[in-house]
Amino acid sequence: MGLGFVVGIIGGFLIAHAAFSTIQYRGELKIMEEQFTGPPFNAVIELLVGLGLCLWAGLAVPTKFLSILPHSDENRVVSLPANLDFMVFNHRGKVLPSNPDLKLKI
Amino acid sequence: MVGSGGASASEAAQLARLEEQAAHGGGGAWEYLCLVRRLKARRPEPVLRLGLSLLNDSKARSKLGSEEWTLYEQVAIAAMDCQNIDVAKDCIGKLKKKFPESLRVGRLEGMLLEAKGAWAEAERAYAVLLENNPNDQLLHKRKIAMAKAQGNTTLAVDYLNKYLEIFMADHDAWRELAEIYVSLLMYKQAAFCYEELILAQPMVALYQISYADVLYTMGGMENIQTAKKYYSSALKLTGGKNTRALYGVCLCSGAINQLSKGRNKEEESSELQALAAEVLTKEYKRQAPAKVPIVTEMLKTMKLS
Repeated sequence: MGLGFVVGIIGGFLIAHAAFSTIQYRGELKIMEEQFTGPPFNAVIELLVGLGLCLWAGLAVPTKFLSILPHSDENRVVSLPANLDFMVFNHRGKVLPSNPDLKLKI
Repeated sequence: MVGSGGASASEAAQLARLEEQAAHGGGGAWEYLCLVRRLKARRPEPVLRLGLSLLNDSKARSKLGSEEWTLYEQVAIAAMDCQNIDVAKDCIGKLKKKFPESLRVGRLEGMLLEAKGAWAEAERAYAVLLENNPNDQLLHKRKIAMAKAQGNTTLAVDYLNKYLEIFMADHDAWRELAEIYVSLLMYKQAAFCYEELILAQPMVALYQISYADVLYTMGGMENIQTAKKYYSSALKLTGGKNTRALYGVCLCSGAINQLSKGRNKEEESSELQALAAEVLTKEYKRQAPAKVPIVTEMLKTMKLS
């Protein structure tokens, strides 16, 4: 997970750097009084690489994802709850010996 | 709707694992107790043991903060289930000191009287509580449970029907009524209850299997055909893994073949029957290979009959 964090930080830094270099490029174009047609090629590559790294980190850093499909093996309901609202206490467990050590200390 | 869904396989496994771990002193007692409460599982012995170990340790108790009182309630109910009346009385005493005029504590006191077997006193206690809180669902349900505990099933059915007229959306009550009707052999009424449950929760395969069981028991060509449809639907919902539904399909097909022996054989999906038999044998080979010969014999006799 440490690696994922580092990769994510690097990706974020690359994106920020691409943004900063684009702004700088625009500033230079203003000095030379030319049109701003698009960011420089390097910045675009840097942006895409940063995007890829961040995506990878976003999937790798969290631990196991929970499944949302209702029919997947993990989510299938195998047993119903025991209907506790209608629980009765005079069952056959009454004759089992109860542990006399279990006491609540006040 | 999600609340009363029941436990999935992974949650049941997690519960068993936590129970094992806590039983051998590995910690995780509070986690286990929270999981039991969330899954609404009935495990009185471990809950009582682990809950008491937490409550008797003053350091652990103070760490719980306000959840301490929920734990007292959980341990009180588990103690009543284990017939450990003293522990239950002590826990309820503590709760009463903290929440003197509470309905929830009043209910617990009523349950304690039930556990002691003092039916008349419990009845009186619930009557007093119901006067002040006539719309409390759990009080009504305790009255029904008391009638059931005393063996007075007709009275329990009466009360349940009156309860369901008011609270029609209560799935637990419908389920309870269906089970009581089955125990009284009143299958048509049980089928009605299961129909209500399937309407309310169509994705729970277990209701459909129970419904199909009841229809198969009632017998008759139409009922068995409908039962076969519901077993197949349950198979679809469980990804073909439910052994009971597989058996249901095979037995229904066998029964239909027998009933329609003299009449014209409609082109029913004999594919379904063959497939179900195949999956059944495969499951047995995987899980209980010693019993495979019995299963193949039985399937052979059914296909011939």
